[in-house]
Amino acid sequence: MSWIPFKIGQPKKQIVPKTVERDFEREYGKLQQLEEQTKRLQKDMKKSTDADLAMSKSAVKISLDLLSNPLCEQDQDFLNMVTALDTAMKRMDAFNQEKVNQIQKTVIEPLKKFGSVFPSLNMAVKRREQALQDYRRLQAKVEKYEEKEKTGPVLAKLHQAREELRPVRDDFEAKNKQLLDEMPRFYNSRLDYFQPSFESLIRAQVVYYSEMHKIFGDLTQQLAQPGRPDEQRERENEARLSELRALSIVADD
Amino acid sequence: MTDHGDDELSSRTGSPDEEGRVPEERSLLHQSLAVRELIDTEVSYLHVLQLCASDIRSHLQQLPQGDLDVLFSNIDDIIKVNSKLLHDLQETAAREEEQVQLIGNLFLEFQEELEQVYKVYCASYEQALLLVEAYRMEPRLQREIQDTIEAVLPQAGSSGLSFLLVIPLQRITKYPLLLQKILENTLPDASAYPVLQRATSALQDVVTNINEYKRRKEVASKYTKVEHLSLRERLARISMHTLSKKTTRLGQLLKQEAGLVPKTEDKEFDDLEESFHWVSLCVTELKNNVAAYLDNLEAFLRFRPQEYDLDIPGGPVVQYCYLARDLQLQAFPEFKQRLEALVWQPLCSLAKALAGPQNLIKKRLDKLLDFERVEEKLLEVGSMTYEEEAARHMYEALNSLLVAELPQFKQLAMRWLGQILCTFVTLQRDLAKQVLQRAEGSLAQLPHHHISDPAFRKLVEDALGQTSHQLHAFQENFEKVLPPPTTQPLLPGAEHQVQALLSRYGPGKLYQVTSNISGSGTLDLTLPRGHVVALLQDKDTKGNSSRWLVDTGGHRGYVPAGKLELYHVVPREEELRGQARPHRDSQRQTPEPTLASVPSVLAVTQVVAVYPFVARSSHEVSLQAGQQVTVLEAQDKKGNPEWSLVEVNGQRGYVPSSFLARAPGPALWGWSLPS
Repeated sequence: MSWIPFKIGQPKKQIVPKTVERDFEREYGKLQQLEEQTKRLQKDMKKSTDADLAMSKSAVKISLDLLSNPLCEQDQDFLNMVTALDTAMKRMDAFNQEKVNQIQKTVIEPLKKFGSVFPSLNMAVKRREQALQDYRRLQAKVEKYEEKEKTGPVLAKLHQAREELRPVRDDFEAKNKQLLDEMPRFYNSRLDYFQPSFESLIRAQVVYYSEMHKIFGDLTQQLAQPGRPDEQRERENEARLSELRALSIVADD
Repeated sequence: MTDHGDDELSSRTGSPDEEGRVPEERSLLHQSLAVRELIDTEVSYLHVLQLCASDIRSHLQQLPQGDLDVLFSNIDDIIKVNSKLLHDLQETAAREEEQVQLIGNLFLEFQEELEQVYKVYCASYEQALLLVEAYRMEPRLQREIQDTIEAVLPQAGSSGLSFLLVIPLQRITKYPLLLQKILENTLPDASAYPVLQRATSALQDVVTNINEYKRRKEVASKYTKVEHLSLRERLARISMHTLSKKTTRLGQLLKQEAGLVPKTEDKEFDDLEESFHWVSLCVTELKNNVAAYLDNLEAFLRFRPQEYDLDIPGGPVVQYCYLARDLQLQAFPEFKQRLEALVWQPLCSLAKALAGPQNLIKKRLDKLLDFERVEEKLLEVGSMTYEEEAARHMYEALNSLLVAELPQFKQLAMRWLGQILCTFVTLQRDLAKQVLQRAEGSLAQLPHHHISDPAFRKLVEDALGQTSHQLHAFQENFEKVLPPPTTQPLLPGAEHQVQALLSRYGPGKLYQVTSNISGSGTLDLTLPRGHVVALLQDKDTKGNSSRWLVDTGGHRGYVPAGKLELYHVVPREEELRGQARPHRDSQRQTPEPTLASVPSVLAVTQVVAVYPFVARSSHEVSLQAGQQVTVLEAQDKKGNPEWSLVEVNGQRGYVPSSFLARAPGPALWGWSLPS
């Protein structure tokens, strides 16, 4: 609104004390921060769970494709191993889905709900701002009339201006007070609000990984492959490769 | 070399006319001479080998290690085996009567080892020769090599390295001949005879196998080399010859498919090929699936919900952040790295190994088609050219190679696959273990860790339900923050004008002036605050969108857009309804002042008299400036809006409407935004 000549519309006296304004800014600022963080957290959480699901699905595909290979019909040992693997993968996928559902319910949804309060808050702050503008403008008008020579029409106008000012000032004060009360309360509510979600998040992970440990632990036992250090496994891989390369039909590359 | 010299031995043969005993004695004599020859030659052979391996090789240190490996191949292994052989041979000398038998047994024992060790050497001999030729091209190098050899083995003469390197080949082929000589001079009924016979044929087999192995290796290396040819090279390759080969093959294939020519069905091979194909498929699919899994894992690790700051100093939120960071920085990267090294890499190697057999299978089919055509031709013509013979041999070589080695390939590949899958499973278990270990600490600190999972789930549900209500309350509170009071009161006498504009332009086009406008230019309007206008254009002729063309009902002109606010004319029902209902819809961005001061609708309107008025008749009533009056009707009995019926101080009467100013009445407060 740069075309308003500066002197019109700005009251002379400071209608809102600096401390009040500063408090307001600070509280609102904290909430704006919180809004952004919760929004981004929600997005990231969603993406993370989507990636988690994708990973699990691709694990299932591994065993599914193996199972559908005709080699399974020829080789009983292979069939047994692949079947056991497939069972394990499918069970893990089911547990993963459960985990994701739990996270959806106890973390992502609540985050969304928390975030949905902010538009109302922002709206309310805008309205307070609007009220402040109106307040300022009308205050300036009153002051203008107050300074003029006190003739009849001037008095009438002054009276009218004062009548207009009163409700607007009351409105602003009401809004200001309401927000100054509610904002900190809302901000603090985050403490109680989020703790259950994150506790639930940790526990859901633990449940899932416990199952994973059990299922794959059992499978490892079943496949009779004892624990070997990684160097040993690497050496075995080298050995297998050399065996293959020893065949004439395999290219020496 | 020493080997040449001793060949002159068996020139003496007895004449057939002599008595029986003489041949026998002579045989025995020849036999023991043959035995001695065997042992003596072995001694000198071994001696030469050792000289080569140690003295000569060590003096050729200026050659790169890779070259030395090619030249001398596995000569050390050969020396090992032959030393043992010699040692055992020399021991047999102690047991004279049984010596020949012992020798036979010895060779049978050593058959396997000899084959293993010499086949490697023989297969790489060709390459060694190539290298020697290359050295010959460089005079200085060649001289050095020559000097070295002459210093160590003067007998080598000027033949050089190639002379030395061929010695093991000569030796291994010599064994059957030496044994044969002993056999010839052994009586058929001697106890040693059968053993010796077996040993001789065994060593013959060794030589045959070594040759076969060498040939296979050559055939295989011709076709399995994955060649990276440039385009030019490829074009150069295409000759009339290859083109004609390809077209005849295609022709043959078509003839087969059309049933004109019987396909050479080889069930055994087809089964092997099918089996190989499944293995191939299995490996390729698994590799692709593991790649997808790794990609998804990487994507998963990109998201870091723990990095967002909710300004919460303690409790489960913080626990979670620590745990998640821990997992993301340590547990998962370790898992990924192990997966790549122990599952992905081997799969890649295994997949690469498929290329060789695949090529050979294809080549075999090509050669088969060639071969069939040749067979046809043979039937027609009765003979075939050298080239056609070669095609047949090639096909047979490839076929036998594949038949021999495909099953082995499958077995080895399956074994490896199994190991890779087991590793995959183990890695998953290890990951789970890691996560659980790291979570243990956090878990113990959670406020409800002692509660069982189902109970906890219920607890969380309840807690979230409660807080959800709380949030709702907050939301409502914020929404109750009231809209600004109605923008500004309508100027007295303006309703008529508003109605006129409304009917002409429609409700969406009406705007109210928010603060006094003083126009500067000729086309600019001067309007008081509260005046209602209709929008004609939302920009001026120069395209300036902050200057709008409006119609006041009487005049047209430009006003600043910033001083206008959309003006709503709202019917009565909605106003009254809007009073009671709290705002539900948080999506609305702008609060719309729904109140349009349509004074004729609102029966209860408090106004303020702006100017004093003296009643001039009984119909009128007096006003004092600033006095509050209640408007009963905003027009007189004839419908003239210039007069309003008001009540003031208990009296009723008409006053000029222009003397009144609308003030927002208390009825407006307490409204929420309409839904």
